[in-house]
Amino acid sequence: MTMTPHTLPAPADAGRAPGEAREIDEAIAFNGVGMTYSTNGGRPRQVLDGVDLRLARGEFTALVGRSGSGKTTLLNMVAGLVDPTSGSVTVMGRRPRDARPHLGFMLARDALLPWRSALRNVEYGLELRGVPKAERRSVALHWLDAVHLRHAERLWPWQLSQGMRQRVALARTWALDPDILVMDEPFAALDMNTRQSVQQRFVDLWQSEEHRTVLFVTHDLGEAIALADRVVVIGGGRVVEDLKVDIERPRDLPLITLNRRYEEIYQHLRGRIG
Amino acid sequence: MRTIDEPSLAPPEEREDVIGPTGAGRRRSLLSRETLIVRGAQLMVGLLLLGLWQLAASARWPEPVLARSPGQTASYLFDAAGSGELWSNTRATLKAVLAAWVLAGAAGTVAGVALGLAPRVERVLTPYLDAANAMPRIALAPLFIVALGINTSAKVALASTLVFFIALSGARAGVRSTDAEWLRLSTVLGAGKRQLFVKVLIPVATPAIFAALRLGLIYSLLGVVGSELISARDGLGQLIAYYSSTFRMEAVYGILLLLGLVAVTLNQLMGLAERRLLRWQPPADR
Repeated sequence: MTMTPHTLPAPADAGRAPGEAREIDEAIAFNGVGMTYSTNGGRPRQVLDGVDLRLARGEFTALVGRSGSGKTTLLNMVAGLVDPTSGSVTVMGRRPRDARPHLGFMLARDALLPWRSALRNVEYGLELRGVPKAERRSVALHWLDAVHLRHAERLWPWQLSQGMRQRVALARTWALDPDILVMDEPFAALDMNTRQSVQQRFVDLWQSEEHRTVLFVTHDLGEAIALADRVVVIGGGRVVEDLKVDIERPRDLPLITLNRRYEEIYQHLRGRIG
Repeated sequence: MRTIDEPSLAPPEEREDVIGPTGAGRRRSLLSRETLIVRGAQLMVGLLLLGLWQLAASARWPEPVLARSPGQTASYLFDAAGSGELWSNTRATLKAVLAAWVLAGAAGTVAGVALGLAPRVERVLTPYLDAANAMPRIALAPLFIVALGINTSAKVALASTLVFFIALSGARAGVRSTDAEWLRLSTVLGAGKRQLFVKVLIPVATPAIFAALRLGLIYSLLGVVGSELISARDGLGQLIAYYSSTFRMEAVYGILLLLGLVAVTLNQLMGLAERRLLRWQPPADR
C-alpha cells in the first residue's frame, strides 16, 4: 500500500504515480521497507512491514507514532546505521552510507564531547570531514553566533545549561551545511521553556535559508505539526497517515497553537495515532 | 523573522544560564583560601604525629630496641645526607621506579585498550590475567634476581608486574566507558574507525588511564623497594634491609620517612599533570 500525502479535509490529492521519475526532487525514498529484529531465543520481532515513503527536497517531514513503532529505526536507516531486512532506502539517490556527507544528525541527547569546548564541539563534524582548521573555526564561530552562543565558545560542556548544550548541537549540525537534517527527538530532553526557545531558534534557522530537507522524529504531535510541512504517522509497521500541514510560514511557535487549522490537524492525527 | 546574520551579542538573559565558575580570578582566590586552611590543618596533623612519636620513644614503647626518637632519626638523615649515602640510593631506587612505570605503564595501557576493544579476546584471557595478577609478587623476586642478576633489571621486572596490571585494568575500563551516542553521532558525521579511536575512544579513556597510572607510580615504588629488600646492591630498600639487620632503627625510620616523602611528591606531580590534562572535567570529577 502506498500512501500519498494529502491535506485536510479534502481527500487525497492525485499524488504521484509509483515509478514516476523523481531523481531530481527526491531527497529520501523508502521503498517497501521492512525490518525484523531477531530476538535472543524468542520469536523474531517485526517492527516495520512495507513502508513506502518519499521525501521531496526541501520538505520538512515529521514522523510520529507510538514508542516502539519503528520511527527511530527508519531514521537510523537513513543514517546508514542499520539496513532494512527487506525493501530499500535511498538518500539523494544513493545508498545511505554513501550519502552521509549530505547528512546532519541530531539526537535527543546533545552528545557533546565533554573534552571539547563549545567551539570545538561545533567544529567536530567539519574536523571529521577534513576541513582545514582556519576554515572550520570561522564556520563554527558563525554558527555559534547564530544560536546566540558566541560568548560561550570557550566553555566546557559541563558549564553549559541543557538548552545551551542543545543549541551547541544545533550549531554543530548546521556547520556541516547538510542537505538533509535527520533529527531524533532533538528537543525531547529539554524543559518546556527551554524547549520552546530552542525550537524557535531551529525554525528560524530553517526558514531563513533555501530549505533543507528535514526528517524529524518525535512523539510530540504538537511539535510535529508546529514545525513540519508534513506529518507521517507510523503504526503497525506501516504508514497509517500522511498529512500535509497547510499552515503558512514563517510560523511563530507560541502562537501556532491558537491557529484553528492547527487544532483541526491535531485532533485528526490524534485519532489516527490511536 | 530572524536571519542568521544578526549581531553576535546574545541578549543578556541568555548569558545567565552559564553554570559553574567562569571567572578565573574569583575561582583562584576561593581556592587559595581553601588551600590555606588545608595546608594549616596538614601541618597540625604532622606535628601531632611527631609528638606521639616522641612520646612513644621516651616511654620506650613498644620495645626498647625499637624506640628511637624523631631527633635521633633526624640526626641519621642529616649524616646520611652529608655522606651522600641517601642521595645515591634514592637515585638508584627512583631510576628503577621510573623505568618500571614507563615501560609497564605503556605496555599495560596498550594491552588494556586492546582488550577493551576486543571483548572476545578478553573473555579468553581473563582467567589467566586474574591468576597472574593474584600471584604474590614478593615470591617472584628471587626468580627475577636469579634470572636477571642482582641489578636494576630485577627491580624493574618485579615492579613492572604490579604496574602492568593496574594500567591494563584502568585502560580497559576507560575504553569501555564510551557512550554509544558519541559513536553513533561520530559515525554519521563521517568518522572512520581510526578517527573513532583517536577522537572518541582515547579521550574517553584518558581519565581512567590517568588514574591508573597515578596509582601505578606508587605501586612501582612499592615493587622496587620490595625487590631491594630481598636482594640488591643499592636502593632505599637495600638500606632498610641493612639497617634492620643491625638494629639501627633510627636509620630505618628515617628511610621510611624519606620513602613517604618521595611517594607524596610523585603523587602531587601526577595530580598536577592530571589537572592540566583533564581540565575539561567538572571539578567534582577530578
